[in-house]
Amino acid sequence: MPKSLNDNICNEVMFSKLFKKHYQNLYSYLYYKFGDYLNPEDKAQEAFTKLWQNCGKVTPEKAKSYVFTVGNNMMLNEVKHHKVVLQHQQTKPRSHTNENPEFLMQEQEYLQKLQRAIGNLTESERTAFLMNRVEGKKHKEIAALLDISAKAVEKRIYRALSKLRVEIEEL
Amino acid sequence: MTREELIQKWLDHALTPQELEAFKQLDDYEELTKMHNALQSFKAPIADVETAYETVTSKRKDTSKPTSWLKPLLRIAAILVIGFGAYMYATLPSLTTVETVVANKELLKLPDASEVTLNAVSSVSFNEDTWNEQREINLKGEAYFKVAKGATFNVVTEDGIVTVLGTQFNVKQRNDLFEVFCYEGSVSVTHNSEKVVLTPGQRYLILDGKQIRNEEEMLKEPTWIRNESSFKSLPLREVIQEFERQYDVTVDAKNVDLSQVFTGSFTHTDIDMALKSITIPSQLKYQKKQKSIILKRD
Repeated sequence: MPKSLNDNICNEVMFSKLFKKHYQNLYSYLYYKFGDYLNPEDKAQEAFTKLWQNCGKVTPEKAKSYVFTVGNNMMLNEVKHHKVVLQHQQTKPRSHTNENPEFLMQEQEYLQKLQRAIGNLTESERTAFLMNRVEGKKHKEIAALLDISAKAVEKRIYRALSKLRVEIEEL
Repeated sequence: MTREELIQKWLDHALTPQELEAFKQLDDYEELTKMHNALQSFKAPIADVETAYETVTSKRKDTSKPTSWLKPLLRIAAILVIGFGAYMYATLPSLTTVETVVANKELLKLPDASEVTLNAVSSVSFNEDTWNEQREINLKGEAYFKVAKGATFNVVTEDGIVTVLGTQFNVKQRNDLFEVFCYEGSVSVTHNSEKVVLTPGQRYLILDGKQIRNEEEMLKEPTWIRNESSFKSLPLREVIQEFERQYDVTVDAKNVDLSQVFTGSFTHTDIDMALKSITIPSQLKYQKKQKSIILKRD
């Protein structure tokens, strides 16, 4: 079967294009799903390295699914050995420091609750929800990344939102 | 539009300006916005795509290099192998080999007018290219030669070399038997560096390493050419071996004295007739079971 150069991931231009398109998405996906405890950046790189090494066997259409599956599997291999403690929180410098100490404390408390609640979501809910809220992705875009339907994404996100609200209310 | 629908649309980042106003009127608005803002602190770090790309592509070199140099190397190797093969083919003597199996005879014309008839389970090989300079043929088994006049003609066997100029003769070289019979002209046999010249009707026979003298017989050609094997004062085992070569059978003769001498013949075309011709004069009985035959004393 004849193949044009552009059909081949082994072509450096093609690979670089795919890399730039999917690398951040893969990294974020692994990060939201498993937390940063297991070094999602390493896994994302390893997944692309594998794609490089098998560039002849994977078509460009399959490349995204390939790196997502490989990255996911690499994570799962390690999850077996560690029970993950999700560390989603980023210490972000507050832009307005002239709040009164009580407000700051409340704010801090709220963030902690939110963090715990996010940790209690299922992996699939958390991934879809954070991609939507934090990355600002539409349902369709998330559906394409995860290879599921937009309807399923919508359900996951809505369910995640409801769970978070309930949990924060309770605490 | 219901509250839930507005929230769904908000979640899909798909609110129109009017819907956004309606959304802002909801009781949940403040809570949802608060959560949304707080969630931003959970954002995944921005990946350093350039550095990651360098890391990934630098790793490829280790594994991809072998495939990139292996392919051209294989091509070169293939060309060398084909070239070598062609060279060997062109320079090696081209040996022509003809073989017969059990119950099979074959007439073969040599590059000159000479003819060879191969008896069953025999083979000859010769070099066609150098035939005109050197007439030499390797023989295993039994064959009848009609040699055209010309240069020396050698028949090379394990037991000796038969040299002629132009004549008709039969050579039989089996396990422990080496027999040359001259029908016409003269034949010289070299066996263990001893040279004997045969004239028509003479037989040269080595059995178990010993030469056996025979009286002369006047024959035109060997009888096996006409599908009949004949034996003159030969041990029964030679007869049975020949029988096995002419019929595709195995003969079990454990209980029979195989060294008794047999004179007579058997046909190649009728197995029962052949068995009778062997067993009756030797006072034996035979039993036939498909492909095996058991011989017993009468």
